[in-house]
Amino acid sequence: MDFFHSMLIGFQIALQPGNLFFCFIGVLIGTLVGVLPGLGPVAAISLLLPTTFHVTPVSAIIMLAGIYYGAMYGGSTTSILVNIPGEAASVVTCLDGYKMARQGRAGPALGIAAFGSFIAGTIGVIGLMLIAPPLAEMALKFGPPEYFSLMIMGLTILTFLASGPMWKALLMAAFGLFLGCVGMDTLMGATRFTFDIVELSDGIGLVPVVMGLFGISEVLLNVEQSMERSIFETKIRNLLPTLKDWGDSIAAILRGTVIGFFLGVLPGGGAVISSFVSYAVEKKVSKHPEKFGTGVIQGVAGPESANNAATGGAFIPLLTLGIPANAVMAILLGAMMIHGMQPGPMLVKEQPGLFWGAITSMYLGNVMLLVLNLPLIGLWVKILKVPYPILFPLILLFCLIGAYSLNNSIVEVLIMVIFGLIGYLFKKFEYEAAPLILALVLGPMLETALRRSLLLSAGDPMIFLTRPISAVLMLISFFLLAYPLVPWLRKKRATFPKGEVED
Amino acid sequence: MSGINNDQVSAAVWFIVGLVISIASVPYGLGTLDSPQTGFLPFLAGMAITLFSFIGLVHSTLKQKKGVGWKPTMQGLVWKKSLIVLVTLFAYVLLLKPLGFFLCTALFIGFLLRAVQPQRWPVVVVGAIGTAIGAYGIFEVWLKAQLPKGPWGF
Repeated sequence: MDFFHSMLIGFQIALQPGNLFFCFIGVLIGTLVGVLPGLGPVAAISLLLPTTFHVTPVSAIIMLAGIYYGAMYGGSTTSILVNIPGEAASVVTCLDGYKMARQGRAGPALGIAAFGSFIAGTIGVIGLMLIAPPLAEMALKFGPPEYFSLMIMGLTILTFLASGPMWKALLMAAFGLFLGCVGMDTLMGATRFTFDIVELSDGIGLVPVVMGLFGISEVLLNVEQSMERSIFETKIRNLLPTLKDWGDSIAAILRGTVIGFFLGVLPGGGAVISSFVSYAVEKKVSKHPEKFGTGVIQGVAGPESANNAATGGAFIPLLTLGIPANAVMAILLGAMMIHGMQPGPMLVKEQPGLFWGAITSMYLGNVMLLVLNLPLIGLWVKILKVPYPILFPLILLFCLIGAYSLNNSIVEVLIMVIFGLIGYLFKKFEYEAAPLILALVLGPMLETALRRSLLLSAGDPMIFLTRPISAVLMLISFFLLAYPLVPWLRKKRATFPKGEVED
Repeated sequence: MSGINNDQVSAAVWFIVGLVISIASVPYGLGTLDSPQTGFLPFLAGMAITLFSFIGLVHSTLKQKKGVGWKPTMQGLVWKKSLIVLVTLFAYVLLLKPLGFFLCTALFIGFLLRAVQPQRWPVVVVGAIGTAIGAYGIFEVWLKAQLPKGPWGF
């Protein structure tokens, strides 16, 4: 089946009225959760997952994916107008976006964010289309040692890129691995650390943990601060960027796209990291780095493009290897499994309709977002004007219902609240939760791959270094872990922008 | 030399957590390298936590010697508000089954609207009842989620 034939099949599926409707609902909800501070794509997808049980698998995946990349579009609006990032990937957009708004250039800032997102999102989808099938072919050659090494590399990259001391990030990853061990040991059939709680025999659910660490803890931190939020009152005009704006931004958009796409592909990378890296790169290549933070359009165009391109890239390890690159992908993995699909190298061969349908829907979704976002900015601003003291009980309620309705279990709600408290303490003591989440997701797969590899090699751990692909992946991990011994590398990491890595 | 710092405290807690996990993994059976058992990976994870927290302890102690002391985590913040929210969340978990979704949700929303940053009573009452009706309508009636019912059937 050639590429164009595959795309044709994809468009035939994505253009079906039902699928178009779910794509539209997905991007609309995504934009809304992107706009609302405190409710990110992870919480929104978790919350809406049970509602997809009655629709076809392809419609479900189209809608859930739409929420993810839709949130990246919506996040920029709050960053620019309120100086509060709607979701973590738009943190860096505040720096120049809000300054542009204060200078009366909210329109071009919002416009270039939307156009940059569209260009990057579209190129990201094209990259996904081109790279995923050959990678899936290659992944068929992967055995347990290669999978193990790849997951170790993903965890190492995330800990390397996390802000703060590396020991904290590694500690978080180790704790995440432990949490991933709770429940049934899939190889032996025995249960671990369940304390006779039936709900724990299937393991600690990712959704309650993520909602607790990112949703509940965020609300706890927000309520103890002043809840006054001032929206910069300005007439938003000239949403279409001028030729000069385009001239200033186009290179930043393209660089952001490339950075976002490739960081999105890496397990452990993702939208948040790519937006920070893109900002750092723009500052570095600029002739006037001192102007960054004062309202330069490249500071909006680059990161906003990067976080959208990353969403396309993040689908590659999920669809080709069955490995989620971040928490959102992990929930999508769960959603696909609930719908009877097994993401991995065989997906593109066994279910080409679903694979290509989902991918082409992202292209359509990007068009919808562009059409949707610019005219609806006024509506999003109105939603932002809802005072936080009224908004936060609703956010909490969504989280509570979301955690409960997954398995109709009060234990999962309790787990979410406990992790809300833990997440609050993590933030107070400056521990990043992202490595924990990735390790929790990868934990069971990593354990299976490790134990199978050791069984294969009769207990010889050198199996990870004697197989070429595995050896390369392991060497990259060793290199990253050994950074404290290499002074110039340590210096480079120290200059890495500080920010929460949580997608 | 400054007083004890935040990282020293958190690393010490993690050190204990790591040891507890490692010790608790042993009864599940560690096995051997050629036949790892159920407790193998949790044990490794626990040991890794212990190791990294030890590195953290050393790192933060060196920083303490350079004058890095305790950084207040609650300065300028109204921590009572987050405590109220947290307690309310635990109360919701406890009361959801006995009271049922509708009543529990109305009380939850009403209490938070009034207790954290007090809203006027009409806003509290309308907000609480309206949200409970809306959420019940969307999730129970429309999306057929099976939310807990109290003794009165809703």
